[in-house]
Amino acid sequence: MSNPERWDLRLYTAGQSPKSLAALSNLKRICDKHLPGRYTIEVIDLMKNPRLAKDDEIVAIPTLVRKLPAPLRKIIGDLSDEERALVGLQLRPHRNGGQK
Amino acid sequence: MKLDNDLTQDAELAGKLEEAEDVRRAIIHGEVDAFVIGEDNNRRVMLLANAYQRYRQVVERMAQGAITVNERGNILYANQRLAEMLSMPLARLYTAPIDTYVELNDRARLASFLLLSSRDSTIEVNLVRGDRAPLPVRLSLATLTDGYSTLLITDLRPMQWPSLTVDALDAIRDTVEKLNQRLSGDAEARESLASISEQINGLARMIDEMLDVENPGTKRTSSA
Repeated sequence: MSNPERWDLRLYTAGQSPKSLAALSNLKRICDKHLPGRYTIEVIDLMKNPRLAKDDEIVAIPTLVRKLPAPLRKIIGDLSDEERALVGLQLRPHRNGGQK
Repeated sequence: MKLDNDLTQDAELAGKLEEAEDVRRAIIHGEVDAFVIGEDNNRRVMLLANAYQRYRQVVERMAQGAITVNERGNILYANQRLAEMLSMPLARLYTAPIDTYVELNDRARLASFLLLSSRDSTIEVNLVRGDRAPLPVRLSLATLTDGYSTLLITDLRPMQWPSLTVDALDAIRDTVEKLNQRLSGDAEARESLASISEQINGLARMIDEMLDVENPGTKRTSSA
């Protein structure tokens, strides 16, 4: 796998909700494993400012948005299924063969 | 040209369909616990568990710092109060190892505390603020759930308000004394100033008593 570029990720959370905590913990683990040293995670707590949901048209929380590398990708849920998260981030080919 | 537009629209629709399907899948698998409802400036977050909402309001409003870390010590949540205690933007705390904000000498003790302690255990450590100044705190383990630990953080620095209040009272005293000298010929004014001095001394005695309860033998005020 060769992805030399920076990864800018944005995680939309609802404060300390169980799924938000799980998503951030899972995301950190995935990034440390697959993107060591070349990622940034921005956490947007929508409990504090729900209006920010407009930027990425967020409807369910937690939602991860891959801002960079383009194209923008969204992954909804707590990222507990690492395989699915990797496919969603396009760090791994889709199960049915091609890139999703 | 029309073909290009059609292709773009098709791609947008496919993206929206994929996202809708992802939301449906996440709901079915119980991977989300909140939704954004409303539009434009009327958006708000609806949590699936009301009990959590009440808990969260307490955490956000309390005077103590609060932090949730995972089993590897990465910060998953911090309240605004902690960010203020550390003089650090809240956003920078997320995902950072808690060690980043703990003095080197205290890190091993904290690691073992997080690993071995049970609920309500406490430990005192020095945190490191954004300006590198040490901040003595007491950490209390509030909850342990699914491998996550929530810690309440109490600032152990001596309270600042007594000395600030004493300074303010001293300044008022000085002003009263100057007025006393200027208005030496005005009996009515001197009577009013004497009344103010009495009030100041009353406040000073109250502060003394409070300080004496906290630190016996420490008197910090003087009478006018």
